[in-house]
Amino acid sequence: MTPRTQRLIGFVAFAAFVVFVAVLPAFVSDFKARDYSYVGIYLIALLGLNILTGYTGQISLGHGAFMAIGGYTTAILMAGNEEFGGPISGGMKDVWTLPIAGLVAGLVGLAFGIPALRLSGLYLALATFAIAVAMPSTVKRFEEFTGGGSGIQLFGTPELTGSISNVEILGVSLTPNDWMYYLAWSIALVAFAVAWLILRGRTGRAFRAVRDSETAAVSSGVSLARYKTLAFGISAAYAGVAGGLFAIASAFVNPDAFPIALSIYLLVGIVVGGLGGLSGLVFGAIFIFYLPLWAQGQDLGSLLPDRIIVETQKPGGAAIVYGVILILLMFVIPNGVGGLFRRVGQLISNRRYSRPK
Amino acid sequence: MRLRSGLPVALIAALVLALPVALAGSTADPGVSATAILIGGTSPLTGPAASYATVARGAQAYFDSINATGGAAKRKIEYRIVDDAYNPAQTVQAVRRLVEQDKVFAVFNTLGTEANLAIRDYLNQMKVPQLFVASGATTWGRDAARYPWTIGFQPSYAAEGFVYGQYLAKTQKKARVGVLFQNDDYGKDLLGSLKAGLGRSGSKIVAAEPYQVTSPDVGSQIGKLKASGANVLAIFATPTFAIQAYVFANRLGWRPLVINNAVSATSNTMTLASEGGKNKTVEGTISTTPLKDPLDTRWKNDPGMKQYRAILAKYAKGANPNDANHLYGMAVAYEAVGLLKRLGANPTRAGLMARARSITSAGNPFLLPGVSVKTGKGDNFPIQQGQLGRWTKGRWVPFGGLWTSKRN
Amino acid sequence: MLVAAAFDFSDFMQQVVSGLASGGIYALLALALVIIHRSTGVINFAQGEMATLSAYIAWTLIVNHGWSYWPAFVVTLALSFAGGIGIHRAVIRPVERGSVLRIVIVTIGLLVAINGFVIWKWGGEPQQLQGPFGTKTYDLGGVVVAAHDIGTIAVALGIVGLLWLFFRFTKVGLALRAAAVNPEEARLVGVRVTWMLALGWGLAATLGAVAGMLTAPTVGLDPQMMQAVLIYAFAAAVLGGIDSPIGAVVGGLLLGVLLNMLSYLSQYGAFDWFTEELRLPAALLIILAVLLVRPTGIFGRPEVKRV
Repeated sequence: MTPRTQRLIGFVAFAAFVVFVAVLPAFVSDFKARDYSYVGIYLIALLGLNILTGYTGQISLGHGAFMAIGGYTTAILMAGNEEFGGPISGGMKDVWTLPIAGLVAGLVGLAFGIPALRLSGLYLALATFAIAVAMPSTVKRFEEFTGGGSGIQLFGTPELTGSISNVEILGVSLTPNDWMYYLAWSIALVAFAVAWLILRGRTGRAFRAVRDSETAAVSSGVSLARYKTLAFGISAAYAGVAGGLFAIASAFVNPDAFPIALSIYLLVGIVVGGLGGLSGLVFGAIFIFYLPLWAQGQDLGSLLPDRIIVETQKPGGAAIVYGVILILLMFVIPNGVGGLFRRVGQLISNRRYSRPK
Repeated sequence: MRLRSGLPVALIAALVLALPVALAGSTADPGVSATAILIGGTSPLTGPAASYATVARGAQAYFDSINATGGAAKRKIEYRIVDDAYNPAQTVQAVRRLVEQDKVFAVFNTLGTEANLAIRDYLNQMKVPQLFVASGATTWGRDAARYPWTIGFQPSYAAEGFVYGQYLAKTQKKARVGVLFQNDDYGKDLLGSLKAGLGRSGSKIVAAEPYQVTSPDVGSQIGKLKASGANVLAIFATPTFAIQAYVFANRLGWRPLVINNAVSATSNTMTLASEGGKNKTVEGTISTTPLKDPLDTRWKNDPGMKQYRAILAKYAKGANPNDANHLYGMAVAYEAVGLLKRLGANPTRAGLMARARSITSAGNPFLLPGVSVKTGKGDNFPIQQGQLGRWTKGRWVPFGGLWTSKRN
Repeated sequence: MLVAAAFDFSDFMQQVVSGLASGGIYALLALALVIIHRSTGVINFAQGEMATLSAYIAWTLIVNHGWSYWPAFVVTLALSFAGGIGIHRAVIRPVERGSVLRIVIVTIGLLVAINGFVIWKWGGEPQQLQGPFGTKTYDLGGVVVAAHDIGTIAVALGIVGLLWLFFRFTKVGLALRAAAVNPEEARLVGVRVTWMLALGWGLAATLGAVAGMLTAPTVGLDPQMMQAVLIYAFAAAVLGGIDSPIGAVVGGLLLGVLLNMLSYLSQYGAFDWFTEELRLPAALLIILAVLLVRPTGIFGRPEVKRV
């Protein structure tokens, strides 16, 4: 396939996906739309993380912290922190807080990118991990801004669109769950397109050069400092928007809502989705949202031979299923779902070329 | 003649009798079918608070035992437990799934202060009962007017802390109290009410050290409390950290009078803290509980505790009966069943809450004799009583009769 | 916290000692992390859970099967060693080629699965595992030191010594190092590389078992016991230099003392804004600062980059 046909196929696939996303709520129950909105939110965070880790080669184990920054920005702008003794009176409509959430998280990401320049590989990974670890207690320390451990409640505030009543938009009446779905997925699709535009251009080439060999990148005139910090900034901004949406969807933030496990699962999401690809990330997002739920529904006893008597639904069973599937998945699709796509694509195009005319 | 007229009469009678049932079927609230009532709740089956997963297990076992004898309100009780890993954002999503997708009749005994705060506004807006919250925060009872669909269960932390304060004020001339508390609403609730209970007595708090649930140990905090010159140590911590507090105090050779909060004072936990009898700091600890103690020989032949052990053995195989969280789960499930039974043939959510606001239950077999579960006008705290006890030679020895809290 | 305290030397030393005691625990797990990183270049997220599992095995042998401590200790170490090798053969080896992240994800899967297994098998409620050094304490001029803490630190240092001897003077130790540094050349000179890597996992699992069995008597045996410790052990290993056993121990002890010193600080008026919540963030910030000066930790050697 020539690059042009490839791009054409990409466009068509993306357009088809947009249509699919647009009509999906009509075919599922109202509540499913709410579930799917979380998939959209995770997708945004994964897109950001993949720009940093998959394309630029910088492993981050702290993206949950950037989500927390976005989530708290949104929550504080919406509800304010006067009731905890803080200076912000709040009152911004939820949707308008999202760009600010992205901006704040992005700036923090840029700032973090500078010291991160000195660190590489594992040391960087653990430095980012440190932010995720330090996040919850820092949030608690500044209680007057963040509400401490109890967090900030958003449900029922006038700033939250569609708490319980339907949302009228463009002449259509959406249920609260459908509204959340369309909000999350509109942003996710835009985020997807933006990521694609960034990565196909000069910036994207520079990112990949940094990933493949820093030494080679420098010798061909790519500024490591510039592109590494830029990748951190963009990636954190994505996480910030996702975090803001997460706060809106949960109508609540507190430190426990952004645990260390979140950062780790985001990493799982991009590896399952496929490092250095975008479309596979949809599956990464589905995976990290649905597998824990699915595992909870599994009867561990039925998965084992009859001779082994296992008590069903005992706590812990779901975690075993989750962990084992994660490991098996790494065996079966080493390069994630994205890698699987590419292989299938190659098989098809190879066959076409080898077929005699 | 009789036979011929008998048939239509019987038919009509059957129709008349069936009508309300049919109508009930069409107008009943979500979660209620002709044969079952579905309730649900979240529990930390994994994550940092996984030791509380046994609460839901105890409740589940009790519901199963009730179902085996016909259920309540002529229906089986289905109890759906969902893991939230002690993460309130997951609680929100799980509870919305329970309400909107699974269509539960009520949300029951969801565990954790923050988790319940996160879902309270939603459930009240949706008019879904948030029944018997598994948390002792004072807000569940205090703010009942603002949140009519939410009701707590256990004695509030505020009542508990006050009781300890009053005990010290009465029995100690000049106690210098050092407090280890969990850095969240639960720990701060207990700390504040302890201070209130001490009042203007000669005893006072000389040091208060918080800890984070995510930290590995509380060694440094205990060291600082000892250094503060305290002669009373108040432990307002969950079981793992409470055990640690004893271990570290003992290693420092520190033997203060210890006050240990109810959530960590089950015999099971105390036995672990005593390190096979080698830990001397444990001896003489003061705590309180409204529950019967599974290790207490007084209840060896008690019908309630026999029932508890039998139910656990049959419906929760492998569960440790000495873990009093099971007992707590059963006690709360017992009251839920009591409410459902009072609902009659046509259970509604509003009816459930109305009855939850007018409980008079004196015979809960899992609570100490004399502890009643009651709510009514102006009283939105189901349990407000407890028994002080002193840990003596490997078991709790009660003293001073039941206390009843008027402050919440 | 209520009044600005006067400086009291024995209180200060008590905090140092208790910091060293906590640090000893971080050091032991950090050692296990270092061994796996040295031999396979991977950070093993499941290290903490493996240690917890080992501690539960020891506990089961002692409490449920009535064994006395030392036989249970030895058998647990042996089982852990075999388990470590088994884990490497079964789940790590198939993903060894390719992205490092894949192995990381597999260890995360292991973390989740082992934690689930422990909860599933033994329940979430805490248990008590006795320690090998008893509960005796010594009062040294107002500073109380527990036998268990001395024992823990001594074991950590002893292990460092043994590892040093092992890597330096035994054939297997040398082969292990060769396999880690340059697998291809090691293979050429007849080192069975995959078995060496498996051996690394076995060793790490054994060290983890020691860590678990010495941690449980202090922090209490429960399924989440090592999760917080693992994070501190990461920090300790990075601070000391992720490939250096002695670095792991020094890093662990330093971190333990540092955390306690930070908490000690807040007693003084000028630092009353420095509350307990800031302890961990501040410690991590200090580690980050150290890394900026020495990007491979205190004892780490700079990486040689391949072009």
